[in-house]
Amino acid sequence: MKLVFDHVFKNYGVINALKDIDFKINSGDFVFIVGPSGSGKSTLIKLILNQTTPSEGKIFIDDHLLYTSTKKTIESLRRQIGVIFQDYQLIPDKTVEENIALALDIINTPAVQIPQKVDTVINLVNLSSRRHLFPRQLSGGELQRTALARALVVDPKMILADEPTGNLDIENAWNLVKILQDYNQKSGATIIMTTHNLDILESLKKRVITMKYGEIVSDTAPASPQKIKKHKHSPKLKK
Amino acid sequence: MTPIKAAWHHIRRSPFQSLVAVMVMTISFFALFLFIVASHGMSSVLNYFETKPEITIFLKDGLDRDTVENLQKELTNYPNIREIKFISKEKALSIYQEQNKDNPMLTEMVTASILPASFEVSVSDPAVLEQISENFSAKTNQIDEIIYQKDIIRSLLTWTSFIRQTGVIIVTLTSLITFLIIFVIIGMKITNRKEEINISRSLGASSFYVKRPFLLEGIFYGAVGSLAGTGTVVAATLYFSSKINSFFDPITFISMEPTFYLTYITASLLLGIFIGYLASYFGVKRYIRF
Repeated sequence: MKLVFDHVFKNYGVINALKDIDFKINSGDFVFIVGPSGSGKSTLIKLILNQTTPSEGKIFIDDHLLYTSTKKTIESLRRQIGVIFQDYQLIPDKTVEENIALALDIINTPAVQIPQKVDTVINLVNLSSRRHLFPRQLSGGELQRTALARALVVDPKMILADEPTGNLDIENAWNLVKILQDYNQKSGATIIMTTHNLDILESLKKRVITMKYGEIVSDTAPASPQKIKKHKHSPKLKK
Repeated sequence: MTPIKAAWHHIRRSPFQSLVAVMVMTISFFALFLFIVASHGMSSVLNYFETKPEITIFLKDGLDRDTVENLQKELTNYPNIREIKFISKEKALSIYQEQNKDNPMLTEMVTASILPASFEVSVSDPAVLEQISENFSAKTNQIDEIIYQKDIIRSLLTWTSFIRQTGVIIVTLTSLITFLIIFVIIGMKITNRKEEINISRSLGASSFYVKRPFLLEGIFYGAVGSLAGTGTVVAATLYFSSKINSFFDPITFISMEPTFYLTYITASLLLGIFIGYLASYFGVKRYIRF
């Protein structure tokens, strides 16, 4: 899935949340967006999901101009995007597996296929023993993994991950990144991840878009082949 | 999760709101069906009197054949006349003898000459009786006496009309209150589930996908409430039917026909579903704006 921001501005009253954001992410790319709090990363995610519209400029997903697209097109695009929200956005009165199944139900997956697909992702994120628990009964890391499982279960063409490692310990953070990296390589899906984790940034050698005060201050292409650097906390990632 | 399962999930998560919605719907349909049964009973009573010869016009003695025929012709000109029967003096005697055949003392003393000839008129609209009575009372040279169950019919008409009008007013009011309560409850439920709705939308849920469980919830309240309301009235009327019917004997005030109940229960169910759906539809339209 291809994403293009064409000189996008977003204002909230007198506050300029985004200023002249202009970049292109090709299908299959793995891109980090970094920046301090308030730099506009979450606004960027909201714009991609069309939860808010730009004050100026254009956003294209696979050549669909977002804010002029029909409701059906927007819904269809959202179904192809797996999202991991910073605050997880899990439904409180649904269990882990019900939260994951919801994403499948929304994309009209036949009911008979849902349990098997849910099982696969639950095992992938190592939440088998937590599948019948409600979000309030889970730790921050488990919530984050549930959100990851929900994003992956629909076989998305793009994953938007907003600070997915923020609440994870180092080992779980690396596991999550590995899952995203594997998915990116196997499916060719585009991954856009906002993070503060410098270890991960340095290790993965991916493209990094750095934002500050709503502007892009740097956009660096990967410096070396895309493989995970040896890291003391990432023993499972060594090949 | 199937839409029905999702709707059931919503109902279970706020049971008291759901209970209020069902109870209000039940009360509305209890009132509606009660008025239907009462109105149906009153119609049976009215029908009983309507099918009787409601007015009997006794003629004075000595009228010639032409005069009698003219009077009969005049009667036929009234609207909604069902039947006009001329009872001659001889026929009146035979009726009298038949009615008093067990009492020879009474029949021996009576001859055809002392019994008046009469017209027995039955109508399909009791309102005509009033006109006939007024017009024929003025013919003092030809008419001896007029007898009809004026008071009963008038009273029945008044009561039937009152029951129907009161029924319509009460049912309209309760339906409106039910509609508003379901509308508000669905609105509250939508507000409570705003987060879930937004999450579902972010995951690509269509507008209809999000709205569907709330619409089904309204339909559920309508169906369960209407069935509970009508069911209670049916149970109560069947329980008290023998006492009520013996009071109105020989009229069957409480119908025992299964088709009567089946028809009205089906109609109530459909109406309940319609009200529930309409209320939730407007609730969804008001509170989910995308």
